[in-house]
Amino acid sequence: MRTMRFCALGMFLAVGADAQLTFDRLLKADSEPDNWLTYSGNYRGWRHSGLDQIDRSTVKDLKLAWVYQMPVTMKIESTPLVVDGVMYVTEPPSNVVALDTVTGRQFWRYRRSIPEPVNVCCGAVNRGVAVLGDRVYVGTVDAHLVALDAKTGRVLWDVAVADPRTGHSVTVAPLIVKDMVILGIAGGEYGIRGFLDAYDAKTGRRRWRTWMVPGPGEPGNDTWSGESWKTGGAPTWVTGAYDPDLNLIIWGTGNPSPDWNGDVRLGDNLFSDCAVALDADTGKMKWHFQFVPHDVHDWDAVQVPVLVDADWQGKPRKLIFWAHRGGFYYVLDRRTGEFLLGKPFAKQTWAKGLDDKGRPIRNPGIDPSEEGVIVWPGVQGATNWYSPSYSPLTRLFYLTAWENGSLYRKGAAVYVPGNRYIGSVPLIDLKEAPGWGAVRALNPLTGETVWDYKLHTKPWSGVMSTAGQLVFGGSMEGHFYALDAQTGAELWRVQLGGEMATAPITYRVNGKQMVTMSAGSGVFTFSLP
Amino acid sequence: MGKHLAMMPLWVGLAAAQVQEVKNPHTTPADIAAGAKIFRSHCAECHGVGGEGGRGSALTSGEFFHGGSDAALMRNISNGIPGTEMPGVFFSPAQVWQIVAYVRSLSESAAREAVAGDAGRGAQLYRGKAGCVACHMIGGDGGRQGPDLSAIGSRRSAAHLRKSILEPGAHVEVEYWVASARTRDGRLLSGFVLNEDTHSIQLLDSQDRLVSLQKAGLSGLSIDKSSRMPSYRGVLADQELTDIVGYLKSLRRQRRSE
Repeated sequence: MRTMRFCALGMFLAVGADAQLTFDRLLKADSEPDNWLTYSGNYRGWRHSGLDQIDRSTVKDLKLAWVYQMPVTMKIESTPLVVDGVMYVTEPPSNVVALDTVTGRQFWRYRRSIPEPVNVCCGAVNRGVAVLGDRVYVGTVDAHLVALDAKTGRVLWDVAVADPRTGHSVTVAPLIVKDMVILGIAGGEYGIRGFLDAYDAKTGRRRWRTWMVPGPGEPGNDTWSGESWKTGGAPTWVTGAYDPDLNLIIWGTGNPSPDWNGDVRLGDNLFSDCAVALDADTGKMKWHFQFVPHDVHDWDAVQVPVLVDADWQGKPRKLIFWAHRGGFYYVLDRRTGEFLLGKPFAKQTWAKGLDDKGRPIRNPGIDPSEEGVIVWPGVQGATNWYSPSYSPLTRLFYLTAWENGSLYRKGAAVYVPGNRYIGSVPLIDLKEAPGWGAVRALNPLTGETVWDYKLHTKPWSGVMSTAGQLVFGGSMEGHFYALDAQTGAELWRVQLGGEMATAPITYRVNGKQMVTMSAGSGVFTFSLP
Repeated sequence: MGKHLAMMPLWVGLAAAQVQEVKNPHTTPADIAAGAKIFRSHCAECHGVGGEGGRGSALTSGEFFHGGSDAALMRNISNGIPGTEMPGVFFSPAQVWQIVAYVRSLSESAAREAVAGDAGRGAQLYRGKAGCVACHMIGGDGGRQGPDLSAIGSRRSAAHLRKSILEPGAHVEVEYWVASARTRDGRLLSGFVLNEDTHSIQLLDSQDRLVSLQKAGLSGLSIDKSSRMPSYRGVLADQELTDIVGYLKSLRRQRRSE
């Protein structure tokens, strides 16, 4: 254990961060729960920790250990990483800070100077860094990828990913695969042409780019009318998963552009709203599964893929669990993308069901119109980008669920580079029926709800499960809570006084399990006394 | 799409506002003279009296890494540049425009700084005889016990670099002050001070570890403000020194645009 050598110094020496974070350690992230090494905690997208010091009996004693207040006013969407005693967390828009995990005090801070106004649809935010070796990687809202020295925060290289003036930005936390930095792009409200990139972690040179909207002559280009593929969207703004056995990167893609007027992009609009599987070495697409062909409701498939090996109808199978923004829960085969199961997990009024290939059977009258039509789920979906969690102990799938509808309108859609290209302004929250939210536990093999922890408002926070049989989550108005993973009963709650728009993590330092959650502009860390 | 779309009706107006290009309205000879006066008292300490550079970037090339438009110069002089040593100034917009006018006049009248050394030979000396690479990093290669030199040629004048090599102690940045801490059980740690408060201190220690210490656990703590770097006076021949300076001046910031 890396921190043991300093035990002779007692509690006042936090840590020595001298170990290299290798790809091998990332592959075995579950075996070192003292750290939180990658966005979802492991490559399978579980956001689950093996730590159990904080459990159902001790959680009531959780106390604040430290707070780091970011000197910025924008919303925190960052998942912190913890590597050998140092926490790396991003501040909006694209700063990085390295903190002592014992005290929350700062080691260094990288402040990104954003040269010009940037086009980001929903806040100049960032969801976190990736770490490999002694380097920290961060994407920026001006669409660059930057490598920093993990010990000093100095810039080692800085490469342009795309042109920010045409609505490209990077908000996603990168994912390390082998010696590459996998990076997605945002800009589905600006008519970008989405892609997923791989960069050489040492040099910043791009290894491959896979377009999520195929060009002429490429499979799927015929699912776009006319020239609409050029501005087709399908961004990749939430971190995906990696299967080392199949050597597949599995990632979700966002909405087609423009969002709510599909008349200018007739066809299925591949590969928007898809789960895609790419060969990690070449970026070549091995399969895709489209949740919503020709989406006109902005139901991105930017959920974190949850990869689980389980018995499926009596036989072991490599599966993907996926609760999609449109309100259906899916089980897919990880080798082929084959549709195995689909079932609503929240109220939805747009589909009668799914056919045997998983394609939705639409109800009539659900498309946006000039006068507006109310459809469930709403624009923000029945879930969105909030991290789900899978516990190998309970074998339950936990997610943030929204029960809500929106008024969908259709308007003009004219593409002007750098301007919004969305095709209307929907009424997202219905004043008389704003809806409600929940942390929901599903049996992932059937899609049935096992329990619900209801919330008065709709939470923007993801969830984390732990070996202490707990599920942690946060509410829109700043309640941070711990639930019994088996029953959903609330066991502990604290009010942190700010909106939560990220997901919790946990780690251990000096023998103590710590739980970290951001609210407002603060990063809050709790431990037992 | 993400969230908080309630703001959407504002979009159209914002998008239109971005197209406007701001131009300096204060560019007369009188404005330049007024700008020069402010520059001498507030900017010259780092950028040099004639904008030739020193601790601060040279301003005579006409290239501005953080943006060369009038609006970018206005913003960077007014607000400073985050993540750099450049602070903002507290002047009225009209006065800042005068500074911008003067800064522009520098690149129109002054020639690029001539550097005599052989950069190729300097690079060999840097890695070989002088051994700079052990402590300094360029493009991610090298040590962390001295300042990163990846873009030092953009930030320091040749004269400043030469002096720093001969007299490393003449100016030591706060980031390179060395703390020595003795723990109550007798161990000694030393490193650069990254952060400090009443109760704790954070170091990058001599073995490149990030260390956070609680002061209650220390029996002694001292700060040494002298440089760890040896002087190269008498170690390098004058031509060798010139070549290394030539090499360092060749290390420029890479433009970030695609």
